[in-house]
Amino acid sequence: MSIMKIENLQAKIGDKQILKGLNLELEPGKVHAIMGPNGAGKSTLSKALVGHYDIELLGGDITYKGKNINEMEAEERALEGIFLSFQHPVEIPGVNNAYFLRTALNAKLKHEGKEELNAAEFLRLMKGHLEMLGMKSDMISRSLNEGFSGGEKKRNEILQMLILEPEVIILDEIDSGLDIDALRAVSEGINKMKDGKRSFLVITHYSRILDYIEPDYIHVLKDGKVIKTAGPELVPYLEEHGYDGIEEE
Amino acid sequence: MNLSTLKNKNLQELNALLDIKDRDILTERFVSLGLPSKKSEEYRYFDVEKLLEKEYKTLTYVPKTLQVSEKIEIVDGVVVAGPQGMRIYNEPCGQTDMEHFDPLYYLGHLLSPHAIKIELDGDVEVEIEHKFTQSDTLINYRIVLYNQANRHATVYENFVSEDIENTLVLYGYDMHIAQDSTLRVVKMQNMEKNQYSMVASHRVNVSKNASAILKSFDLGGDKALQLLKVELAEHSHVDAGHLLYLNADSKRGTVSQIVHNGEHSTSKQEAKNILDGDARGIFDALIRVQPSAKYTKAEQNSKAILLHEQAYMAAKPQLEIYIDELEASHGATTGQLDRKQLFYLQSRGISYVEARKILVIAFANTLIETVKDTRHQERIKASFEKVFYSGHTNR
Repeated sequence: MSIMKIENLQAKIGDKQILKGLNLELEPGKVHAIMGPNGAGKSTLSKALVGHYDIELLGGDITYKGKNINEMEAEERALEGIFLSFQHPVEIPGVNNAYFLRTALNAKLKHEGKEELNAAEFLRLMKGHLEMLGMKSDMISRSLNEGFSGGEKKRNEILQMLILEPEVIILDEIDSGLDIDALRAVSEGINKMKDGKRSFLVITHYSRILDYIEPDYIHVLKDGKVIKTAGPELVPYLEEHGYDGIEEE
Repeated sequence: MNLSTLKNKNLQELNALLDIKDRDILTERFVSLGLPSKKSEEYRYFDVEKLLEKEYKTLTYVPKTLQVSEKIEIVDGVVVAGPQGMRIYNEPCGQTDMEHFDPLYYLGHLLSPHAIKIELDGDVEVEIEHKFTQSDTLINYRIVLYNQANRHATVYENFVSEDIENTLVLYGYDMHIAQDSTLRVVKMQNMEKNQYSMVASHRVNVSKNASAILKSFDLGGDKALQLLKVELAEHSHVDAGHLLYLNADSKRGTVSQIVHNGEHSTSKQEAKNILDGDARGIFDALIRVQPSAKYTKAEQNSKAILLHEQAYMAAKPQLEIYIDELEASHGATTGQLDRKQLFYLQSRGISYVEARKILVIAFANTLIETVKDTRHQERIKASFEKVFYSGHTNR
């Protein structure tokens, strides 16, 4: 039984159709890596899954935990447990990072019928996460992502993931712009989230991140479709031969 | 009194109407500028005629003995209380700027036989509370704020009113910031319920090596315009910030002229405008760099967020430059909330309505946080959020 099933998904951005009948199933507890050349539709897929305003669905279905979410608003998808770590997290001057994180967490707790956290409880929760990610404590008192380096922004994405504890985690180019130390810290945060139930969709150009987050499946995306699914043994083949030699199954 | 009756009157007629003696220079200047109308550039977006055409009661000026208070209290244009030891007194209106662009600056002086003079002769921090208690009344007064040389003073300005309606307040400062001194003026004004309208016409004279830091936080509804003229001597500086949050059908804003007279003078002017409902925001700001003001640095920017399709922002940043040796920039943007930012918050489970509120408050906070004193900063933040949450249309 998959946690998320994507069937014959067709989507466009502006006038251009990007996804052209994409099929994919995410299994609980598994790490799915999506690889493919530039323009294949990797980021469009991630946007479609979280209900991004750029995307217009032309056909197909996205089913999450047995429910069709094609028409679901972005915030509802998030509250239901779908999380996207953005390739380029946006900067929001004036919004305190801690306030944002607590607001997001409390929205989720409220949605789940749980008691919301006060500021002190929240800060206690944060402390361990910050240490693990190697984040300076002042990063949570700064404006959200404002003036953060590329690595700091990605760590902040992972911090949000750790706090919100989603069930489907989509990582869009999480390794881009990271030095080796940041990559290790981010990967550690991701691996910490593996609990045998959560599903990960790792979108990447390069295999480097897969040295740190071991995938269960490799899906090759080309021209808006998944053309091949295999185990991790596909990675060295792709490294050597590229995507040109892969034919649709 | 109906101020529109002053239209197109000559010097003698005005002197007779206003019962003025020995102030012909001011009267001539007012006559030459004329009573403002919708044809006046500085009042073009403000509907000033409606305010001037009303019939107002006038108040007889009766000076009061000052009571001791932590703050300076001005009730219906008369100073009634102030901190012990602070030099506050009434004096005949003088030291007037004869090149101010605003006719109501001159009318304000003509209507006010005395100005309230406040001498800031130490490194002080003081609050001025303006209180209005009379309905259907023209309340008119002028304040002279004098900052002594090599002193650093801060003035927090607040406005309160009783349950009044249809009053017009004409007031303003003549600020004199002496050499090597700093004057910060932080104005917080939350207006609502058609209680009063206001035209505040100021002149700020910044001497050599001195700084003026002028922050205004104008919230809520109603009609109010601040007209500001700043003159900068050599190596002087002004930092002006204006936050506007308007709802309903209010019309408020800033019309300003910053004039660089001296070399190496610097100016920074930033306006942040948030407009909801049918509100109209005004930012009509000119920076003039005179031939004598080599090596000037001038920066001017206005950003507006429209929260409703009927909201309107009249933004007109202008540079008037007479030299080549300077750095200057200006710009204005008007738009909706940033869609990427909105989506980012929503993607973390924050509702659309809440995300909008967070972004608006964040936009305002970037200016509110320029108020260095955290107590006052928090007070302004709380006022802003209260007004915003009560007035936001959620559309």
